[in-house]
Amino acid sequence: MKRLDVKRRTPRIHRAVFRVRTLFSEEFLALILVLLVFTVPAAATTRFENRGLFMTSTEPGVTTSYTVSLSYMTPEPVGSLDMLFCISPIPYDPCEVPPGLDASQATLIDQSGETGFSIHSKSVNHIVLSRPSSMIMSSNSASSYVFDNIKNPTDIDKSFSIRLKSHSSMDATGSQIDFGSVKGQVSRGIGLETQVPPMLIFCAAQQVESDCSATNEIYYSDMGTLDENETLTTQSQLAIGTNATGGFVITANGGTLAAGTNTIDNVTSPTESIPGKNQFGINLVENSTLGVGRNPEGEWANAVPTDDYGQSNKYMYVPGDVIAHSPHVSLMRKFTVSYIVNTAPSLRAGIYTTTINYIASGRF
Amino acid sequence: MKQLKNLVLIAVVAFTVVGVLPLSSVSAQSSASLSIAPKKSYVIEPGKSIEDKLAIRNIDANETLKLNLRVIDFTYTDDSGTPKLNLNQDTEPTPWSLRSYMEVPEIVTVKPGNSSTFDISVAIPENLGAGSYYSAIIYSTTAPDGGNVGLSASGVTLVFVTVPGTVNESLTLKKFGAYNGNVSGLNGYRHFMMDEPRVIAYTLENKGNVTEAPVGTIKLKDMFGHEYTINDVNPSKSLALIGQTRTFQACIKLNSQDVNFQGSKAEASTCTSPGLWPGYYSASIDIFYGQNGNNTQEITKSTFFWYLPLWFLIVAGIVLLFVAYFIWRIVVMIRGGTFALGGGSRRAKRAPARRR
Repeated sequence: MKRLDVKRRTPRIHRAVFRVRTLFSEEFLALILVLLVFTVPAAATTRFENRGLFMTSTEPGVTTSYTVSLSYMTPEPVGSLDMLFCISPIPYDPCEVPPGLDASQATLIDQSGETGFSIHSKSVNHIVLSRPSSMIMSSNSASSYVFDNIKNPTDIDKSFSIRLKSHSSMDATGSQIDFGSVKGQVSRGIGLETQVPPMLIFCAAQQVESDCSATNEIYYSDMGTLDENETLTTQSQLAIGTNATGGFVITANGGTLAAGTNTIDNVTSPTESIPGKNQFGINLVENSTLGVGRNPEGEWANAVPTDDYGQSNKYMYVPGDVIAHSPHVSLMRKFTVSYIVNTAPSLRAGIYTTTINYIASGRF
Repeated sequence: MKQLKNLVLIAVVAFTVVGVLPLSSVSAQSSASLSIAPKKSYVIEPGKSIEDKLAIRNIDANETLKLNLRVIDFTYTDDSGTPKLNLNQDTEPTPWSLRSYMEVPEIVTVKPGNSSTFDISVAIPENLGAGSYYSAIIYSTTAPDGGNVGLSASGVTLVFVTVPGTVNESLTLKKFGAYNGNVSGLNGYRHFMMDEPRVIAYTLENKGNVTEAPVGTIKLKDMFGHEYTINDVNPSKSLALIGQTRTFQACIKLNSQDVNFQGSKAEASTCTSPGLWPGYYSASIDIFYGQNGNNTQEITKSTFFWYLPLWFLIVAGIVLLFVAYFIWRIVVMIRGGTFALGGGSRRAKRAPARRR
């Protein structure tokens, strides 16, 4: 009778859970976990260690020698080594042949470590080395194979890879034993440009055309007479564009307004204009309060002011800060820089000036 | 005495007037519209040198472009590709500096609307170790005269030199996963996203003495087995500089289009919606790096993220409520109540009383 009372008080959901729990006891769950632990590693495969590629010349399109080095890891008989030249190093990705590469005339001129190989077959991007299947001397043993007469790829913008696989068969068929890829890259000693080279176009003035073809040729701004009750404003313009895939950044450099040793403090975080307080700041957007500035102009929208310099009616200036950037190719875009100056009554009289050096650079 | 008083008064007034009035003198300045190469890369063996020509174009059709050139050092600003330029010539060169090995002319002048080339040379000493070396050429227009705020424009060419040989390569994968590009740095990684992920990122720390540009593949898989492959994990050929912890971003779906940039064709790429379904996603990365003649290194890692947009959460919540409601109804019905959609069950309510 007492037990029935307890049951009645127990919430129904708890009783339901208890029934399920009896089905999946701790022992049963432990068994499932043990099975998982022991069955997953069975699918693991082994990669060659110490894989490397040395190209005697990295000039694009030249015929040179390649040294492929690797360490066999699995202690099994090896009868062939498959070498597939592709852009992607990933074994299961489709193989795109590196443009310009030609391994069809390759000759095996030297080998060390696991030896006895000869070229079984070769094509533009595929070489199969073969030998009578025999046990590797010791796992971890370093081996290298030197090929002559391989023509380098021609695309300096893309690296390429050689996908390696070892097999017990003599013709690189059947299941693989070890696998892995080595990476290569052609480059020029001196950059002879055959395509349109990357360029960065940049201009700055009080007013500029969006394509930098003309400016008003005024490279300074008068802000008028300093007044503790009034915010002085002015503006200038920058235009920039690049076809470089990495994009660009613009930094603003130079000190704050100064007259001898007296300075007007630069604002170090985005702040609204406060007349009567020493403030020098800039931003790159339209400001409704003071009626100065414009939003960036140009159809290509991936070039933008940075967060700190892109807030309407808020200004700051820290020398060296990035004020605008683009992460990718950007067509020409025009930025209008607004400057504000506020002065405290205690500011000493003087001619307050500064030069802001806008530096445009590519990204790496 | 009165004359002296007047003189002092005039001097004070004059000082005050000069003090508060802006400068208005103007002197001619060169054009500030230039086109330069943003980046140059060379491979130079120890003891050898290269001589190259760099082009500068004066975009301004009216003014002559006069530029002062100098070589400066740079490093990284953060985990992005923004260079931090060291404009101070008096500082010690960085360990990877090319300042001592590179020569550029001090001044270059380009006629309006024209292009000009200038010679640069880089000579690598015999005893310089293998690795990466880099500095920048800064092209500065002359500083203006006049006004309160003067403007000058400068451009920068980043110069990278690889000295071949056995180098120390060490990249460590710090983070990998779905990335919110609106938040910079490591804070952009997300395991749970309400907006559709467009970018998968990975952050690598470079502890070697060579810049690295990794290659490889990222694969995403949803709960239903759909697979999305990012074939190029570094489409911009971005670099991790020496000592830098660099975040590389790759679009799940890349939209490339040819654009006309100043009369020539350029390929512009943007991340577009990959059309992901809400749910759980696993992601795996396989990246490779290694210089010529050195071991190819491989890094693999897996991670996961949930993409659960707000509309999906609302719909899922409603569905769950309905399911819970129907289960409760079924339970009531099994225990002797009557199942009535949307209505109460008198028998169910009375049931406990009957049991007693």
